[in-house]
Amino acid sequence: MYDWLLFLHVLAAFMVAATAVMYSAVALGASPGGPTIRVADAVWNVGGLGTLILGIWLALYVDGYEIWDGWILGAIVVWVIAMGTGERARVQLAEGVGNFTALHWVRTVAVVGLLVLMVWKPGA
Amino acid sequence: MTVLAAIRPDDWNPPLFLHLVGAMTLVGALLLVAVSLAGAARGGSVATLRLGFRGLLFAALPAWIVMRISAEWLASKENVNEDSPAWVDIGYMTSDTSLLLLIAATVCAGLAARRAGRDQAQGGGLSVAVVVLTAITLIAYVVVIWAMTTKPT
Repeated sequence: MYDWLLFLHVLAAFMVAATAVMYSAVALGASPGGPTIRVADAVWNVGGLGTLILGIWLALYVDGYEIWDGWILGAIVVWVIAMGTGERARVQLAEGVGNFTALHWVRTVAVVGLLVLMVWKPGA
Repeated sequence: MTVLAAIRPDDWNPPLFLHLVGAMTLVGALLLVAVSLAGAARGGSVATLRLGFRGLLFAALPAWIVMRISAEWLASKENVNEDSPAWVDIGYMTSDTSLLLLIAATVCAGLAARRAGRDQAQGGGLSVAVVVLTAITLIAYVVVIWAMTTKPT
């Protein structure tokens, strides 16, 4: 059970990071086309939901973790920032208004921040 | 068991972080290349073919190097190089084989982009080859992610 939860959680994290990489190409000036953006958005949605649900499930399942641990609460806050800026970046890219690039890089920093929290687990 | 899973020496964290950054960037770059070139094979632009080539050359290959060097660093910390377990062997075998596929895909993507720029063609069989190579590599990496997380013996 633990193995499958961890595998699917990490796979979801890879999906979130994959979208950050795909959107980075756009932020750097590439034009990958509509289908690529749609795939990136779908991967982001599935990965985002997967990291949160499976992450909370893992926190409840693993004896050494509690849902109110500082690093887990911090990760949830950073996850909300990543998802919020990611959604705003998606809308601004689609509508061609606002500062898509800045929002995307904030989202990317948040994704890296999530990875730092998951690896170092400060306070655990 | 689940308590033990939560424990890891602190000095393993830097190589693990770099390993994950490299692997995630690699997977993201491959997904970008596969999806954009799948569109290019059905009538995409020269710019899309160039994106595929640059994605492999400037993102996927450097990310592979970061992933592979940090894997070696991590393996030396964990002392798994001698009498290595199955999940480490799966990682080494897949990453080393995938480098050959990545190089082949990069060469094909470069030739497709060059040909398309010269003839205003769509890349044809070469871009399909890149899509197939990157798709095979992505599937192999999902198996590796499973092996790295579940650590089968």
